[in-house]
Amino acid sequence: MMRFATYVVCISLLIIHQRCAPSRFVKPLAKKENALALNLGGPLIHYGKAVTPLPLTSLMYGRGLSNSTTAFGSLHLTSALFGNFQTDLGICQRLYKNDSLKFGITVNPAINMVYDKWEGNFRAWPQLDLNIYKDLIHQKGFLYLGLTNWFELSSRKAHNESQSNHVLVNPHIGFAYHPKKWSYSIECKFLEMNRKNVPNVVDYVGIRQHGAAGIYLNVMRKF
Amino acid sequence: MRPQDTYSKYRHCKDEGRNNLVNIEIASARKKPGLAMTLQFLCTVFFVLVLFSSCLRLDSNLYNPSTDIQEYQLDNYSGEQDFILDASYHIPDSLIHQFTLFSKAPGESKATNIRAIYIGSISGIQNDTVIMYCHGNKDHMDFYWQRAKLLAHVSGKNRYGVLMIDYRGFGLSEGKSSEEGLYADVDAGLQWLKSNGLTGSRLVMYGFSMGTAPVCELTNKPRSLSPAKFILEAPFASADVMANDGSGLNMPGSFFTNLKIDNAEEVKTIQQPFCWLHGTADNFLSIETHGEVVYKNYGGSYKEAHRVNGADHGEVPEKMGFSNYLNIVSTFIRK
Repeated sequence: MMRFATYVVCISLLIIHQRCAPSRFVKPLAKKENALALNLGGPLIHYGKAVTPLPLTSLMYGRGLSNSTTAFGSLHLTSALFGNFQTDLGICQRLYKNDSLKFGITVNPAINMVYDKWEGNFRAWPQLDLNIYKDLIHQKGFLYLGLTNWFELSSRKAHNESQSNHVLVNPHIGFAYHPKKWSYSIECKFLEMNRKNVPNVVDYVGIRQHGAAGIYLNVMRKF
Repeated sequence: MRPQDTYSKYRHCKDEGRNNLVNIEIASARKKPGLAMTLQFLCTVFFVLVLFSSCLRLDSNLYNPSTDIQEYQLDNYSGEQDFILDASYHIPDSLIHQFTLFSKAPGESKATNIRAIYIGSISGIQNDTVIMYCHGNKDHMDFYWQRAKLLAHVSGKNRYGVLMIDYRGFGLSEGKSSEEGLYADVDAGLQWLKSNGLTGSRLVMYGFSMGTAPVCELTNKPRSLSPAKFILEAPFASADVMANDGSGLNMPGSFFTNLKIDNAEEVKTIQQPFCWLHGTADNFLSIETHGEVVYKNYGGSYKEAHRVNGADHGEVPEKMGFSNYLNIVSTFIRK
């Protein structure tokens, strides 16, 4: 069976999955607090006989508008390397907080935009993340579970074919450790769990031929 | 602040130790948070602009050639192949011609040497039908030899001539793979056929997978010869479909490649009769998103479809059964 070489698949995935990033904020910042973060990671791919995450990177800045609302924006560096200006802008809003049980629920509505300098194509996709977190280690860390949802609003796709995928559901689980100003987190995602990953030009590491697993690392500095 | 003030401040800090210098710098930054933020922002914007202005593209990486051969082995080739024909499909050496063609893409100052194999009698080119076989995106002609040999049995052993070339960068062909190179190389083959007496009315173009791109391009916009008919096996629709399939979103191909291959649009203006073959279990180029779209978009007056049950990307002839496959191709050509 004809297949592209593994390295070709790697690079293809790198771009095809340029939309992937971890949850921007699971917990809002304090009012007037700022944060800069570097995200690294991506979907798992087969590389020879090994499995490795792709090195997708993005830079993010966030600022606390209030103690329960944080605005954020990011720039996707890997995407920029390929001549695409990609950003996502949104807010993290706390919906519920229980101090005695030390958990909370937040929602992140955001808009993802990509513009390529080659043909001037522009696309925008709304995104809605929902997270539930539980404080641990004397509030120096927290565990979180959530759903990242991407929405394809276009009713058409290439060659004017009808678009049947309008919601891409990506459940995730993560852990963040934030001893002081620095914060470190790891997140595992199951990308596009509601979508079959074959037939396709790329080989995903999915589950039962659905979606792709992804691992993301995040380093954040608050100031 | 005057320069001497800065210097004295620095001297003072040096005397106090390195930590103090750091503390004073941080303190200064704290006094001017607006300036620090602005600098950080400008640095980030500059950094992103530098990245954005880069020219990293996937185009050259989308080709999958192999050049690790010293000569073509043909029947003796022991590498990976989709299928191997039995002895009844043997072609005598006298009917196998290997030679070099000179291919020049538009804008190139120098021709590229590419290798070709013609199966059949060269003198027969001026009288009979020839199939121009455009192979897929894998290794070189040894990998596709069995397929070319099979086509040399359409309507009987060596009834029609078959020409196959290695695109630049593939096998023993020189140069580097490119989309424009694909078209120029196939056209070099057509020029050779034309110089040996072939006319467009006796030319059938056959493309497999990536080879469907030069077939659609040169049928839609003929250069040396305009074919009478064309056959697409497991065609690629476009880079946009590849991006759509990979992302699940309406993402254009231009986000990652400058490839202009767009069979799904090109077939809209092709008038020649069209035969399409595609495996229903094609796990590489989906029959639904690639093949069906190309077939549906065809704008000519005659088309026929052969959806091959259970066949994966390289399995169409084998799953159909070789004699059935030959029958279908033969019937289409003779129609």
